[in-house]
Formats: sequence, C-alpha cells, structure tokens
Amino acid sequence: MSKFMKLEASSPATLGAVVEAVTRLSTYSEAQILEFVSAGKIQELFPFRPTHADALPPDTVEEGDLVEASAMPLNREQRAALIQSSMPTASAAGSVAAGASRVRRSSKKTYSKR
Amino acid sequence: MAIEARRFVRRAPSKADKTLLVDIRITDMRAGDAAWWDAKLGIKHIPLQRADRYWVWSVLLPMCHLVQLTKRRYCRALVIWARNDQGRFLRVGMSMLIETYPYLDVTRSLDSYFVWFISAADPATLRADFGMTHPPALGRALLDNAIVLSQNAALGGRIGLHATAAGGKALLNLYSACGLSHLPTRAKLPAGVRPKNDGRFLFADESQAEAMAAMLDPSR
Repeated sequence: MSKFMKLEASSPATLGAVVEAVTRLSTYSEAQILEFVSAGKIQELFPFRPTHADALPPDTVEEGDLVEASAMPLNREQRAALIQSSMPTASAAGSVAAGASRVRRSSKKTYSKR
Repeated sequence: MAIEARRFVRRAPSKADKTLLVDIRITDMRAGDAAWWDAKLGIKHIPLQRADRYWVWSVLLPMCHLVQLTKRRYCRALVIWARNDQGRFLRVGMSMLIETYPYLDVTRSLDSYFVWFISAADPATLRADFGMTHPPALGRALLDNAIVLSQNAALGGRIGLHATAAGGKALLNLYSACGLSHLPTRAKLPAGVRPKNDGRFLFADESQAEAMAAMLDPSR
C-alpha cells in the first residue's frame, strides 16, 4: 500500500484516497495548481505527505558520485524508472501509478468536489 | 550531417561576482533529493519573502508526476548541484518541467516544454550553512534546462511558464530580463490551459530560445 500519509491523522493513506485526490487535482490547470501551492493551500486538495522512513541523503557528494541527467528525451522505461524513484517507496510507486493509470482510463468520476 | 545535441550548462556565474563561474551539474530528481531539500533548505525559506516559501518538494514531486500521468503527459524533474568551497557538490536548484505541453502562442498550435516549478536556494543560507562562498545565479540555468530539453525533443526550444502571483512584479521582470516574452493579457490560451489569462504567462519562441541558449553555450 502507498506510503503516503494523511497530513493530520498521520495515518497511512489509502490508494483510493490518493487516486481520488490526484483525479480531482487534474481538473485544475497547471497555473491553478502552482497558485494553490504558492499560497500554501495545496493540502486542501492533496492532503498527503510521503513518509520519510529512510535517512536523508548526505548534504554533499563528490563529483564522481553524481549521475548527470540526460539532456535528451527519455524513453518509456527511463521515464517509468524516474517516476518510481520519485515516490515514497518503490512499491508505493507501482501501486499509486497503477491507480493513476486506472483513473486515466476511466471517464467516470467517482468523487465529489469539495 | 548529424546535428549535435545541446548539453546542459555546467557553469553559472556567482551571484556575488558575475566574473566568477561556479561549477554546476544537473541530475534527475528522486525522492531523496526532495526530502533533503525540504529538510535542509525549504525549512529555511519559509520565513523569507519568497514565491516558493510554501513549496514542499517531497509532496510536489510525486504529486506532479501523478497529475500529469492522468493527462497523458510526463514531468521531468531536475536538480541543480553546485560546487562548494570544499570542492564537493551541493543541491542548489530544483525544477519541475512538463514535456509536450501546449505552446502558449495559440496562433501556431504547437507543443512546448512548460516550466511548472523552479526554485533556487537562498544564497545567504548557502553561504552561512553550507560553506558555499559563491552561490551561483541560477535563473538563466533553470530556464536553459527547459530550452535544451525542448530543442533536443524537436520542439524548437519553445517553452512557456506561469509566474506565480506570489512573485509579484519582480518575478515578471526577472523572467523578462532572462529573455522571455510576456503573453499579452488579451491573448487567448490554448485549450486545457485554463483559467483565463491573468497576464502572468511568459514564453519563448524558437528564435528567443536559441538566443538564450547560445548565450550560455560557452558554459556547457
């Protein structure tokens, strides 16, 4: 299950709740989402935060330890790997991304607006 | 004849001394980068009058990816690192870009890269807490990353962005100074780029993008 936590209850978020929030957010434009975030109000639409079970990475690294990003377009596998590594855990990424994919294929909205 | 792809920049001018170039490197952003940024820099930004003071990257990173997936688009999230006084590299910039986004000039019906979120670390914090006497000026580098990706994806270097209202007039002026054009308030927006045009959209066409990128070519 997702490693997202609800902001206030500090309890694990269900996949359904995360997908519902993402679906609701996707009805807004990027400019609107930017303004929500900048106003400190994004938690009203996406009331989750990732868990941080792992220790923070070190502040600094040697140049040789950096894997520089490609300036070329990524292929499907590379994109998928980066999305996975963006999620709180790899297992959560799989389940949440799969959930988002399900939402994308469905035209029926099963949530209600706040 | 094959055209060589443009690379990301690897040096940026010092904020304090523009004649001095600071080594920078670009990596893809992962959950650990976002968590580090929030814990070590984001928390220091909250008391400052910055447009990004409430941006929590560990929330933004997964959220933006998932929102764009529902729109059948992809985000490219990047980290900019800079060399500190000890010769090691430290995270100093973050960006969230969207691939294949509708170009803001609707008269041309094309795609572009969209610069959704970009953030540079507070220079005073870098000096005081992270041993970096010369934090780099990152405005141009952050935009250049999007231009280079757009050019290499055969999108002509076209980019667009919305300057958050929290940045006020100063943010509009900053982007204009970097070479972006202001989308007139009366201009229509592409379908899907709602709501109405609030006068805070900026963009670069192919020639502007090339000019902006060419200016940084010696630093690649």
